Amino acid sequence: MRARSIISTEGSGARINVTPMIDVVMVLIVFYLLVGQLAIDRKAAIALPSSSTGITQTQDQDPIIIGINIEGALTINGQSIAGDRFAGEITGMHTRSPSTPMRVRAHRDAPYGVVRPIMHQLREAGVSQVELMTEQGS
Amino acid sequence: MSEHTPTTNTSTTNTTSDSEYKRPRPLKRRNVLDRGSRFGPNMTPMVDVTLVILIFFMASATIAGPEWFLRAQLPAKEDPDAIASDFALPTPMLSAELYLQDNEPDQIMVRGLGSAPRTLESVVEQIRSMDESAAAGLVLGIRSTDEVPYWAVVKLHDAGASVSMRVAIR
Repeated sequence: MRARSIISTEGSGARINVTPMIDVVMVLIVFYLLVGQLAIDRKAAIALPSSSTGITQTQDQDPIIIGINIEGALTINGQSIAGDRFAGEITGMHTRSPSTPMRVRAHRDAPYGVVRPIMHQLREAGVSQVELMTEQGS
Repeated sequence: MSEHTPTTNTSTTNTTSDSEYKRPRPLKRRNVLDRGSRFGPNMTPMVDVTLVILIFFMASATIAGPEWFLRAQLPAKEDPDAIASDFALPTPMLSAELYLQDNEPDQIMVRGLGSAPRTLESVVEQIRSMDESAAAGLVLGIRSTDEVPYWAVVKLHDAGASVSMRVAIR
């Protein structure tokens, strides 16, 4: 019986079978991608309110996602941003790309006093419409 | 004559059967990777890749979750005309303000719709029972005091959206 080796000597020269290595590398890449994504989600820790109606259509453009946690900490596209820098940042983004939709991911139990200043700053930046992210439910 | 050579013994003693002295054939180790023991294409890489893709989609579905969104307009002014409208005439607006009665978190009230303030649940029920064709031409403007939880604003918004109202957040 011939033993199978990772180094194939068939043909003119020795070759290494890279299939298992690619398999393992793919598994590791997927694992770290998922762990990284979960870590970001956990950091944001935003529980969305539920709604019985909503829109699920996909946009041509990637939206700008504004996260507001229960304490009022802000993120733009997952990156934390200080409250005093938010207005300037969002104005710049809206000026550069006015058609990009703005999505607000606010914590369901956040007091509206935390959310209202953000809406106000969006309005001041020239945003006339926002998309409020919710969970599908009743 | 060596007693270790069964063939010699067999030839000399006819009363003994051949099988008794036959050297046991060594067990052949079964190797699934042995080229001789399998047939057809090698399924291992395909199974590996399929499992990775399966896990990826399962995990990404869990992360994404069943989410959607509600559209809200941000009028620049209190004037209903400031809301983008497809109609030439000013769009009729219903104005609702949420507040907490006696600062109790479970007593969310709505004033502005009807003659007297009512609970959020009754207002939501009333809006949902409206005729959709009539409600579709209306704009529901929502205000709220600072202490009202965000989910209450979304709940009122959801009720308006369920009968095709456009909703403006102030």
